[in-house]
Amino acid sequence: MSIRIPVTWAAAAGSLAVMGAFGPGALAPPPRAEADAVRRGPDSVAPPPGRAFYFTRAVYSDIDRRTFRGWWSVDYPKADRQFVIGLKRLTGIDAYDLENPIRLDDPALRRYPLVYAVEVGHMSLTEPEVLGLRSYLLAGGLLLVDDFWGSWEWANFESQMARVLPGYPVIDLPSDHPLLHVFYDVEHVVQVPNVGLGRRGGHTWEKDGYRPALRGIVDRDGHLLVVINWNSDLGDAWEWAEDPFYPLRFSNFAYQLGINMIVYGMSH
Amino acid sequence: MLESVFTFLFKYRPAIYQHGQLGFDAPWPVAATLIAGALLLGAALLAYGGARPHLGQRDFVVLTVLRTAIVGLLVFALLRPVLVVSTVVPQENVLAIVLDDSRSMQLADRDGETRGAFVTETFAASDSPVLQELGERFKLRFFRFGTSVARHDPGLPLTFGQSRTDLKEALHFVRRELAGVPLAGVVLVTDGADNATNDLTDPLLQFKADQVPIYTVGVGRDALTRDIEVSRVEAPERVLLGSSVMVDVMLVQSGFRGDRVTLNVEDNGRIVTSQDIRLAGDREATMVRVQLLATEPGPRLFRFHVPQASGELVAENNVREVMVTVDDRREKILYFEGEPRFEVKFIRRAIADDNNLRVVTLQRTAENKFLRLGVEDADELAGGFPRTREELFTYRGIMLGSVEASFFAHDQLKMIEEFVGQRGGGLLVLGGRLAFAEGGYHGTQLANVLPVIMEPSADPEFFRTVEVQPTPTGRGHPVTRIGNADSGSTLSWAGLPALSILNPLARTKPGASTLLTGRADDGGDVYTVLAFQRYGKGTSIAFPVQDSWLWQMHADVPLEDLTHETFWRQMLRWLVSNVPDQIHVSTPAEDVEPGETISMTAEVRDSSYLGINGAEVEATVTDPLGNETTHALEWTVEEDGVYRAELATSLAGRYDVRVTARHGDRELGSALRQVRVEQHPTEYFGAHMRAPFLKNIAAETGGRFYREASIEGLTEDVRYTESGATRHESHDLWDMPIVFLVLLGSIAAEWGLRRFRGLA
Repeated sequence: MSIRIPVTWAAAAGSLAVMGAFGPGALAPPPRAEADAVRRGPDSVAPPPGRAFYFTRAVYSDIDRRTFRGWWSVDYPKADRQFVIGLKRLTGIDAYDLENPIRLDDPALRRYPLVYAVEVGHMSLTEPEVLGLRSYLLAGGLLLVDDFWGSWEWANFESQMARVLPGYPVIDLPSDHPLLHVFYDVEHVVQVPNVGLGRRGGHTWEKDGYRPALRGIVDRDGHLLVVINWNSDLGDAWEWAEDPFYPLRFSNFAYQLGINMIVYGMSH
Repeated sequence: MLESVFTFLFKYRPAIYQHGQLGFDAPWPVAATLIAGALLLGAALLAYGGARPHLGQRDFVVLTVLRTAIVGLLVFALLRPVLVVSTVVPQENVLAIVLDDSRSMQLADRDGETRGAFVTETFAASDSPVLQELGERFKLRFFRFGTSVARHDPGLPLTFGQSRTDLKEALHFVRRELAGVPLAGVVLVTDGADNATNDLTDPLLQFKADQVPIYTVGVGRDALTRDIEVSRVEAPERVLLGSSVMVDVMLVQSGFRGDRVTLNVEDNGRIVTSQDIRLAGDREATMVRVQLLATEPGPRLFRFHVPQASGELVAENNVREVMVTVDDRREKILYFEGEPRFEVKFIRRAIADDNNLRVVTLQRTAENKFLRLGVEDADELAGGFPRTREELFTYRGIMLGSVEASFFAHDQLKMIEEFVGQRGGGLLVLGGRLAFAEGGYHGTQLANVLPVIMEPSADPEFFRTVEVQPTPTGRGHPVTRIGNADSGSTLSWAGLPALSILNPLARTKPGASTLLTGRADDGGDVYTVLAFQRYGKGTSIAFPVQDSWLWQMHADVPLEDLTHETFWRQMLRWLVSNVPDQIHVSTPAEDVEPGETISMTAEVRDSSYLGINGAEVEATVTDPLGNETTHALEWTVEEDGVYRAELATSLAGRYDVRVTARHGDRELGSALRQVRVEQHPTEYFGAHMRAPFLKNIAAETGGRFYREASIEGLTEDVRYTESGATRHESHDLWDMPIVFLVLLGSIAAEWGLRRFRGLA
């Protein structure tokens, strides 16, 4: 149970805070050494220890068999960095400032109990990745997935998850689920479009993903193992939050839902 | 032996010298004697002076000293030295003979004869020479004691059947009974195995003030030759259902050094565990830690038993029983976390299946924004961290995470201190960037409460990864016992992943116990990882690590391993163990003998745990047959909220005592206490003769200690006393053998030396 703040006020406050965070200098390019490290690939990036939270991005094999600059890296690292800026501004989380990509078959994954993955409709996990992700989730980790659209991508993701967690049901998260109220009171799940569609101002769907869905995979005790944000693209909304042509209502919602997922994942 | 030699040389026993004073009773003038002696000595020295040219310097000195000694001894003897002692007037004084009538006197450790046989032969038989001799000088008054004390008719036999030995009551009784009569002394005949656990200081000071000596007669051997004793069993009074119960058992033996024995533990008649134990040396303690599981609610009677070994003298002391009350209730713990952290998630998960723990979490997610988890209703913690004692004290434990001291108002910090010190709750403080000194707690009230010494860190970026290891205390502690397959914890401490700390705490307070330490992975310093201390009525624990969740998540920990869950369950159960309720009932002992009274003490407190004095407090006692009686408890006046009553018992079995309290129209609550009423073999524990204890009693009062073999000295020593009706007697000392021996020796030495030097 949370102490509730009316969503309109919270959203307004959140918007101001986020916009404030992206003032001059907030999006300054990373130092050359960091940028080089990212370009060399995730294996070479080891964040300094000691922080309470690292926004960790899952590096996985995709249907194109690319593990470097593959589908996992869409919006990376700008979306990650901008989300962390908002996260630190709006919550009391002691978060690491930069991105933290890590492979699913890396044992170090277990040091980060919350991991974010995008474009999972293109996921094609190797067996070590399946084993790594399964043990991660069963040990207590939480996977947040985002930015995959339509029935084909759903089917692919579902088949990959069936390999990771065979027999575990996928459920729709009801509107009174704690995840939707743990920090902000999120009354409705909004479809967040990609940056192109958002700027254009027309429809928000891609492929045949007309309606957004917030789903989850739960274990036998009801613990959420995977939070599924289908037919929506939070990552683009974080990445382009400072873009004056990207609608504020989408980035507001994306931050609210993203922060709720993080706070929920750190407390439930 | 030494005493016999002394008595031979000096004519009288040392005890007489202790009581006497030296005097001279010469029948002729003392001055004449001294002048004669001086003249004699002068003549001798003159003679030696004349012969000096024939003597060396050394011979001259030796001969002079010898001659001086001879003359001196003669003068001493001629002055007729006497020892003046105060002695009793025959038949004018009373001597108390106080006889131990307890069961331990039935022990046959005197070459097959019982201790009681000695008591009977020496102090109860009409033809006893000791009694006859004492009877010639004193009026004898006999007492027998054990659980109770009474006058004893010497014509009747002693039973040696009383179940306890209460020396304090015995001495008080004797003093009361013989007040006003000329009491010359007390002869206390016992093995000294006092098991009433009463302090003897008061009665001994009274006897000392009255100048009445106590002569103690120790009966029995200082050590039983072949015996194994379950000497002590220490278990928590109450535990939560499903908890591990750690019980410390102490075995003491003689004659079985290094032997292996089996310790069986029975729970209400069913053997639940057995341990093979190698016994330590004679009269050395063998400590055994037994882990039991509290699987059924209610009062559980655990019995610790070592089978009787071959040749063992006493079998009754191979068993001890202890009652543990297993509570099936849900203990409420407040966990306040100052920032979102994964510790919250994993601690909540660890105890999620524990039906006896409820962790109510208040987590600050942003400035002035809080998340409440596990609350009972919409009102609980609606205002954030509690601001009143009544609200805070509903919890039995508090956990503080990474939250800075300045978050709390001064009164709230004081309340947390009082929660531990006055309410008796448990406080657990976790590590974090805003905890301990890093959170500004240095110099606050919590600094007093916590077991660690906080010092501001010189390094604001301090971070260490530490390998956690248990201390010797931690290896057997109920919180840190892991690696037990029964609980699903398969890993040892060495197998657990390292944790990280942001709070450099290395020193603990003098009264604190450290259970876990962590050595920095660079092989450097050792830091405190888990320490606790008692503070007032409660307990405080410091656990300055920030990521114990790694014991659950880390890749080195198998998925099926439950070490993290086990650790946190054990930790939180222990945190709230023995936290008192508003009504708390206690008894000095958990068991009494049939016919004894149960001393019941109830502490009655209001919701802020302040004592209430005007309450109506009643005890409803259900005896073993199910009959109920009601008794009122009276306020003690000495202490706020403390009420007492003495409840009579008559039947053997379990008495259930439910104490209820009400104040005006308000019910304050109730508490249940079980008391066992049964015959106990207490007398067979620690049943060897306690010579040091009896010597102390005698020394404190001016008496003496005797063993069976030296009992003859008693009849003479008791004559010389300052108490009662006495007169002074003079005993000649001039005819002491030592005088003649020294005189003859000196004469012989002088003569021999002179002859050797050609002077004789």
